[in-house]
Amino acid sequence: MNDLSVSVSSATGPVPQMALPDAPAKVTARDLNFYYGDNHALKNINMALGVNRVTAFIGPSGCGKSTLLRVFNRMYDLYPGQRATGHVMLDNTDILDPKLDVNLLRARVGMVFQKPTPFPMTIYENIAFGIRLYEKISKSEMDGRVEKALRGGALWNEVKDKLNASGLSLSGGQQQRLCIARTVAVRPEVILFDEPCSALDPISTAKIEELIHELCENYTIAIVTHNMQQAARVSDKTAFMYLGELVEFGDTNKIFTSPSDRRTQDYITGRFG
Amino acid sequence: MAVQSDVMEAAGPYDRARALGAFKLGDVTFYWVTRACAISVLLILGGIILSLIVGAWPAISEYGVAFLWTQRWAPSADPPVLGALGPIYGTLITSFIAMLIAVPVGLGIAIFLTEIAPIWLRRPIGLAIELLAGIPSIIYGMWGFFVLGPFLANHFQPAMISLFDGVPVLGTIFAGPPSYLSLFNAALILAIMVLPFITAISVDVFKTVPPVLKEAAYGVGCTTWEVVRSVVIPYTRVGVIGGVMLALGRALGETMAVTFIIGNSFRISSSLFAPGTTISAAIASEFAESDGLHQSGLILLGLLLFLLTFMVLAAARLMLSRLERQAGS
Repeated sequence: MNDLSVSVSSATGPVPQMALPDAPAKVTARDLNFYYGDNHALKNINMALGVNRVTAFIGPSGCGKSTLLRVFNRMYDLYPGQRATGHVMLDNTDILDPKLDVNLLRARVGMVFQKPTPFPMTIYENIAFGIRLYEKISKSEMDGRVEKALRGGALWNEVKDKLNASGLSLSGGQQQRLCIARTVAVRPEVILFDEPCSALDPISTAKIEELIHELCENYTIAIVTHNMQQAARVSDKTAFMYLGELVEFGDTNKIFTSPSDRRTQDYITGRFG
Repeated sequence: MAVQSDVMEAAGPYDRARALGAFKLGDVTFYWVTRACAISVLLILGGIILSLIVGAWPAISEYGVAFLWTQRWAPSADPPVLGALGPIYGTLITSFIAMLIAVPVGLGIAIFLTEIAPIWLRRPIGLAIELLAGIPSIIYGMWGFFVLGPFLANHFQPAMISLFDGVPVLGTIFAGPPSYLSLFNAALILAIMVLPFITAISVDVFKTVPPVLKEAAYGVGCTTWEVVRSVVIPYTRVGVIGGVMLALGRALGETMAVTFIIGNSFRISSSLFAPGTTISAAIASEFAESDGLHQSGLILLGLLLFLLTFMVLAAARLMLSRLERQAGS
């Protein structure tokens, strides 16, 4: 490693050493522009999320990272006045096609939010609810799926004796893992994390980061984070965004050790943001 | 300003303590004033119950518990025969039907307004709902008497009667002849009157659902209907039930509009299209010309209405606390 990595890695924690070979693209954005009414929030974004890779989005508040995430599952559709132009391909489907069934899209592209959002029902139902939307399965099969999902969310051992308790009775970190389990349960292809740890304590954060690491074996993952150590720890690729533009996008290793753009370097070394 | 700063400068530690003492006095006064306000509610409530019991005492001692299940109401007989079964039946049945109609429609409007309607349509509909709530009940009564009653009697009731003719149970409920003045008409007017309550309260509580929770539900692939049914309604259950109970309270006690169109008949008929009466309608239409035992009987009816409303509210409280305990466990 070069001399720059020394100064940066002290600020950002350990950096994954092994560079992964480039993965085929799962989601590809081409000439993506996004508007909140007249506000041009995303400007000509071109990038791709690699299959079974974790892609982190970093940048100062208001730079458009969450907006970009919300384009990937058309969440912005819920609000009038928000629109996107360009193309975002999920495999061979154009996500921005107005004729697309957004409910199916959101089942393929799951999302975990900043704040834990358990539904007002039991832990079991929180998981079973999403499965039941698309599949008619027997009770015993459902039990199996719920257990699998909770194991996938690294929550099973903590809740297996109280599956009928309210999802709201769990701690913040457990609630967030319940939400991850719920997202995993509907077998999506892509999972979007929008600052999943910003409301959590360090131990819960560590658990969730570990979980993200495991999940990327089976899913394509995008994560928005304000915590640069976190981006360095969990991601394979990092995108730095600033004022609605994608400034730099590349291997996490490279972004945190030898960024090619001045603004990226300033941001990751804490000179602004 | 200058004066003030002079005072500030002159204020030593001793003065500060005195100033704090004055605050303390204010605080104590505030405490007792608000406490008096709160206690006055209890006093007023107790006074009303007491005067109702005193006024109803002659009737209570004359008729006893049988008052509740006597159907005959003959105040001009000698001695007068009074029974509350007709008004109690009418009150319960009209309110029940009104809620049966108003709750689904009211919730439907609220869901449409908060989840589905385009922004430009929300304000006009919301405003119309508020205006509907602001119409005085006498106007509903007149409209029911001159417009709705004839319409129902000429079109809706004959259709229902012929539709269910010969069907067991339903045939008896929807039996002829059509009438301008009937339990059903009163229930329909009540439904229209309580609709804005249910809608307005539901809209308010639906708005308290965090957007991110709804996004999460959409995020697992829910349709709007599934989001409403599985997230919005469960999340706001307590508030919605509260609104429904408030509306039920209003329906039980509504007087003017009902008196206009219910027909004021104390006889209980199995048909909804027959005239009937409610407790409040009976009191309103007879109180002015009553005296002695008759008047006491009407006051006793009032006491019964009070108890009925109280029981509804108590049941609502019980239900809410049970729901809360379930959600919290």
